[in-house]
Parts: sequence; structure tokens; C-alpha cells
Amino acid sequence: MHGEKRKLLFKPAAFPRKNNFTVILMNLWVFPLLAVMTIIGIIISSPAFLVFKITLRMETFRIIRLFVWIYGRGWLAIVKPFTRFQTEGLNKGDISTPCIIVPNHLSFFDTFFLAALPFNNVCFAIRSWPFRMAWYNPFMRLARYLDVEETPWEDSFEACKRELLNGAALLFFPEAHRSRDGRLGRFYSGAFKVSVATGVPVVPVCIAGTGEMYPPGQRLLRPAKVRLKALPAVSPDRFPGPYGHMEMRKHVKALMAQEIEKMR
Amino acid sequence: MTNEEIIRIINDSLIKEFELDSKKMVPEAVLYDDLELDSLDRVDMVIVLENAFKFKIREEKEIRDIRTLGDIHSFVINKIREIERVS
Repeated sequence: MHGEKRKLLFKPAAFPRKNNFTVILMNLWVFPLLAVMTIIGIIISSPAFLVFKITLRMETFRIIRLFVWIYGRGWLAIVKPFTRFQTEGLNKGDISTPCIIVPNHLSFFDTFFLAALPFNNVCFAIRSWPFRMAWYNPFMRLARYLDVEETPWEDSFEACKRELLNGAALLFFPEAHRSRDGRLGRFYSGAFKVSVATGVPVVPVCIAGTGEMYPPGQRLLRPAKVRLKALPAVSPDRFPGPYGHMEMRKHVKALMAQEIEKMR
Repeated sequence: MTNEEIIRIINDSLIKEFELDSKKMVPEAVLYDDLELDSLDRVDMVIVLENAFKFKIREEKEIRDIRTLGDIHSFVINKIREIERVS
């Protein structure tokens, strides 16, 4: 398959031209509301932060992660009229923490839909470019998200261990990039190396539909059926030895590829 | 084993392990920029090469200087020729 021109698996034609009105309506609804929610969120986050800090004595990064999760829940509410959103394996108690979440990556808005996770103490371990968005950067820094692209691996690994010891869920996009054709891309080793080294299980989360809704390079949102499904946790105990993380990476990718194929 | 055979084994092993595009497997391909291998992949790459050629190279200092696919080819060819001379 390498090097061949690959057929797109996204289905932009799933919503025929007669539904262009819906597409326009969706964009007129979602983007302004998202902007308003973001601005209001930025304005009220400071006083809300002080309230949480003083009354609940929560640590700064925990408060910000909670805010991010609430923001994501706001996104789910905003897009609700235009998406059929289903989750599986994401109810309270379905996933134990600490854990390492590994979703596939189809769209910029995947991170927003991950607010469907049943907990908010989530530490994103991601590449550098999201940190360059000025309006999100302060929150990402305060939430102690990890820039695993720019930070030396040894330092990232120590930070990952600290997060897992504190009971957080680490979240890696193992493909590192959004898929350009809807297919699962190659997986990088970081998440699996952390899992094997710490003994913390990996939870694969399969995402379908966000690629139809807002794939890379597209400017307009389109109505879509979005599904998130958490697969059973994969224990690193099954992958001993120096090649364990490589075997685990292949195993998890195979599980996800199989499930994503079913979800299409 | 000829140099061509060694190069083929290296390329096939890396393509298989890292799901690389065979069209990008040219000697001047930079590991980080062109093949998009990160620092962890470089560690895994050593394991892959050790498995493919049944030698130990993880302690070799020259590995740190490898930047391109051509550097890997040269390094492995030299290593195999060195082993052949000794044995």
C-alpha cells in the first residue's frame, strides 16, 4: 500500500447537496457559539479559578483541567443539534485511572469530543502546534499539558510518571497527526513506552465520524454521526522484555483498526 | 552478503516496523524530517537492526551521528564487514 494513491475513507457526500442548507445553518450556529463560549470562558475563568482555589483548595492544574473538560462538554452541547453522538465504554466506572488513553485522530475537534471521557483529570501529551494557539496556550500550560515534541524524552517521561502517580489519565494521540484519508496512520511508541515502563494500562479509544464532520483542510463543518468507543484496557504485563513496547504498539493498533473498520 | 542485499534488508525492516513509504527510502532521506522518525523511533530502529542482522550495536557511539538513511546503510555495511574480518 505504501506510496499508492489511497482512496479517501471520509464520506463528505454522506450529506447530499440538498442538505447544504443544514451545512450552512450548522456553521452559522456552531462557530459563533464556540467563539462566544471561548470568550466568556476566558473572561469568567479568572474569578471562577479563585472561587475553586479558595473554597475547594484544588491545585491549579486540576482546576484548569476541570475547566477544559467543562469547555468540551459545552462543545458537545453546541454541536448536538447537528451531530448524532454516541459513546460506548465511556460511562462512569468503565475506565479506571491512572491509565493511558490512546485515541485515533481524524479532526481538530477530536480533543473537544474527548470531553465525553468520564473524568476530567486528563493530561494531554501532544505535539507543539496546539501550544502555539495564543488563546489556548495559557490554559494548556496551567493544565500542565505535555509538549512531547519539543521536550526531551527523558523529561517528558518523568512528567508522565508524575501524572500517573497522581492518578491522572495521560492522553496520547499515537498517530501524532490527523489522518488525511480516514485510515489509521502509523503509531509512535511514546504511549506504549510509558505503559510498559510504569505498568499502567493503555485504553484504546476509537473515534469515528469527526473526519466526516471536520477533516483536515476543510473549512466548513458538516453534520455527521460521531462515535467514540473505549475498548477494554490493555495491560502492559502481556508485553515483557526490551521489545515489549513495540509489540504492544502493534497489538493496540491492530485492535483499533479492527474496531474502527466495524464502526464505519 | 552484498551491499545491495544489506541495504534491502535494512529498508525492508524499517518499512515494516515503522510503516514507512517505500518511495521515501532514498539514501539522502533525513530520518527526522523526511521519514518522520522521532527520538524514540531511533532507539527502536537500533533494536530492529539488531534483530535483522543478529549483532549488537546499541553501545556504538557512531549511532548518535546517524542523520540519514544513507548513514544507516554505511554504518551497517561497515559493521558487517568488520564482523566478517574478525571471524
